[in-house]
Amino acid sequence: MLGVAVSAAMLLDMVMLSTGMRVSLRTLLLSRGFQLRLAPKGTLPFDTDATIPDASNVIRVLRTIPEVSTISPVLGGQLHVTVGTRTITATALGVEPSVQGDYEITQGRPSARPNELVASDDFLRATGAKIGDTLSAASGYDPQLRSFTGRRTFLVVGRARFLYMPAEHRAVALPIATLQQMRGAELRDRASLFMIRAREGADVDTVLQHIQAALPAVTAVSIETAMRQVDERMSYFRQLAFILGAVSLAVGFLLVTTLVTVSVNERLGEIVVMRAIGVARSRVVLQIVIEGVAIMFVGAIAGLGLGLVTARYLNSILAAFPGLPAAIDFFVFEPRDAWGALGLLTVAGILAGIYPSWRGASLPIAITLREEAVG
Amino acid sequence: MSDTLLTAHDLRREYHMGDELVRAVRGVSLQVERGDYVAIVGPSGCGKSTLLNLIGGIDHPTAGSVTIDGARIDQMGDGEATRFRLRHIGFVFQRFYLMPALTAIENVELPMAEAKVPREQRGRRARELLAYVGLGERHDHRPAQLSGGEQQRVAIARALANKPQLLVADEPTGELDAKTGAEMIELVAQVNRDGTTIVVVTHDEDLAHAARRVVHMRDGVIVDDRRQDAP
Amino acid sequence: MLAALLLAALAQSIDSTPARHPPRSVAIDERLATDARIALGDRLDVTTTPGGVGDTVIVTAMVRRRADPSEVARSEYRVIMHLDELQSLVGYGDRVDRFAVATRGRAATDSAIRHINDVAFGFHAFRSRDIAVETSRTFLVVSRFHRAIGVITIVASAIFLLCIMLLKVDERRRDVAALRLMGISARSIVRSVMVEAALVAVVGSGVGVALGWFAAQLINWHYRGVYRTPLAFALVTPGIVVLAVALSLVLGLAAGLLASQRLVRMPALELLTGRREARHVTAVVR
Repeated sequence: MLGVAVSAAMLLDMVMLSTGMRVSLRTLLLSRGFQLRLAPKGTLPFDTDATIPDASNVIRVLRTIPEVSTISPVLGGQLHVTVGTRTITATALGVEPSVQGDYEITQGRPSARPNELVASDDFLRATGAKIGDTLSAASGYDPQLRSFTGRRTFLVVGRARFLYMPAEHRAVALPIATLQQMRGAELRDRASLFMIRAREGADVDTVLQHIQAALPAVTAVSIETAMRQVDERMSYFRQLAFILGAVSLAVGFLLVTTLVTVSVNERLGEIVVMRAIGVARSRVVLQIVIEGVAIMFVGAIAGLGLGLVTARYLNSILAAFPGLPAAIDFFVFEPRDAWGALGLLTVAGILAGIYPSWRGASLPIAITLREEAVG
Repeated sequence: MSDTLLTAHDLRREYHMGDELVRAVRGVSLQVERGDYVAIVGPSGCGKSTLLNLIGGIDHPTAGSVTIDGARIDQMGDGEATRFRLRHIGFVFQRFYLMPALTAIENVELPMAEAKVPREQRGRRARELLAYVGLGERHDHRPAQLSGGEQQRVAIARALANKPQLLVADEPTGELDAKTGAEMIELVAQVNRDGTTIVVVTHDEDLAHAARRVVHMRDGVIVDDRRQDAP
Repeated sequence: MLAALLLAALAQSIDSTPARHPPRSVAIDERLATDARIALGDRLDVTTTPGGVGDTVIVTAMVRRRADPSEVARSEYRVIMHLDELQSLVGYGDRVDRFAVATRGRAATDSAIRHINDVAFGFHAFRSRDIAVETSRTFLVVSRFHRAIGVITIVASAIFLLCIMLLKVDERRRDVAALRLMGISARSIVRSVMVEAALVAVVGSGVGVALGWFAAQLINWHYRGVYRTPLAFALVTPGIVVLAVALSLVLGLAAGLLASQRLVRMPALELLTGRREARHVTAVVR
């Protein structure tokens, strides 16, 4: 039974792994309701440092598409904060606070003025700052002058959880116009990414096509496209999940086959006597197969708990991937995964029991009785 | 209805044991009348158990025929033979072969359940049969909780569940002590007196003595076949 | 990074754009050459913005990328240009992303790092080894994951092996009973089962190693094709073979010992007949 439970646990884990990342990524991408993203041509969002020029024109063109409901421009950069003699560098996101989809306020409020920012726990811890403090920050370096450029003073107005960043990451969010100004000509009217929400009831693919036609110089990416790209890069885990899942199922199958075979061998006398007194072969087979399925079923229930524990452990290992958003999980439990694994195990249990039971029930009665008597 | 229940004609049974060809039954013909009580005796290896298996339809003859109540059981396929055994033939084995996970009453009900007898009816009949064999109080005991003699009684009750015309028993007292064996002999005789045709294979002289007719076998053939007065 | 920028926009061969200066020479990677069907000597238009004004270059070399694990999942193309030409093209001015510095020995490295970081503003010097460790974090995670899966698989296999061994040895209990009744000692029986278990373990692990080697070849063939890289994804090393054989030997012996001990503890007559009362009778008689 323990062997079956372990096989069942592995199978459940692999079913969870095969779909987990997809499920959690989709949940993350849709968490704020933005179904489309625009990135620099040929890239995925924030895959490179490239930016989209003429951001205001892009917004203007997008607004002419009736199915587009909300547009959130995002600009990525860095902010350098001087604390005493130290410099703390953080990832900076320039956003429109009223429509942004990159963070959730956990304390305080979003930035409403040009010189206000919200920050991650890690940033506040590193700088020793809290809500209400002011910080001096710069957006770049001038090595010739050996000085920071784009200096500004900011008021910390909120603490935020950044959805697309790793768990312990120094990050800040400020109005996009502020970040653009701080970076000067280099990033004037540029954005790294646009997030787009379609109107309720609009067909996302149609909106995508309109955008691609209207803005051929950018790459428009739907959730599905993003998922496909990630699938490609993470195909290794899906394939590993498939292989290990198949192996687990095979091991469970072999174990139940062996258990049923031994059980049949132990009870050959009973089995042939049932046939002798007139019980049909199919009934005898059914009874033995049911026993095999019962073994698999009980093992599967025990394996469910074990599987969830090991999945949590394995997920904690993979969650340490550098740069992985904290919201992404590799092992996601969905009830249908458990049903799926149980279904597979039931079928395997049936198949595992059929051959040994059929063999046992088809033995010649007289010869078997004689051998049992001699034995 | 003819008086002859069982007719075996020129039965032969050969099988291979390693390289050797064993001729267990070599041309045996036998007729058993309805209500008769026949004991087949002989030394070990004479073919008496093999003959019983052929008569009972759990083995196929190499040659010859077996007819029970007009039906050629040697020509039946597995499924048909199984159904025939269910309704027409009862088996009792030396080793009882009760289902260990079932109680006494459930063991007796087993053939009736297979024959699709309604639950209430089979429960009633099972209780009657257990009382008939002297185990009315033990119906909810499992085989492990019964003695050898009690288990054999349950086996007899099971064999009578579907009111078979023919009861075949292979060494029914083989695993029993003398006292219990004597009780069993009396029970089998009672079953016969109540109308069931019985063919029994045995080493037990007392059991053979209780039968109306004794058939002696040696080396796969019948060497003697005589009636005797019932005790 | 800059190279990635470029890749967004190139791969058209045209002659019509008049060159402002002799065409620059570039090297492109094999993957780009294959996918875009570019050959040596082809002229390409390169720009930093899609459809924008750029420059014409001639492909004068093709390069094969090193098997860098950190890039294996990224299907990007590479173009290699002279530094000043790229700076000019992208308007980067006199800037670079990084310098690579070779020093004369370990002591010199330490001293160079110290000196550079003392005067650095806007950049920092690192040992190449430290960068490698940092960029290897992904593989450390994958390694840990593989190890965890490996441990779970070994535990599951051990349980499976034990179950099978218990069942299979139990099947032969009548043979064991007969031997015991003949006078063969329990110790001899346990020893013979363990020898058999050891043989099965060694042969089994040999088959397993061969199977593992074939599987590794298959994995490498598959993923090299998928990711278009000469990297090896699975390696069967002597250390792994020794570990596999040793582990299966230990597990096989342990399973054999447990299974045979379980059998020899039961009285021989009980093993033969399967009847419990034999033991009870024996105890009473004693």
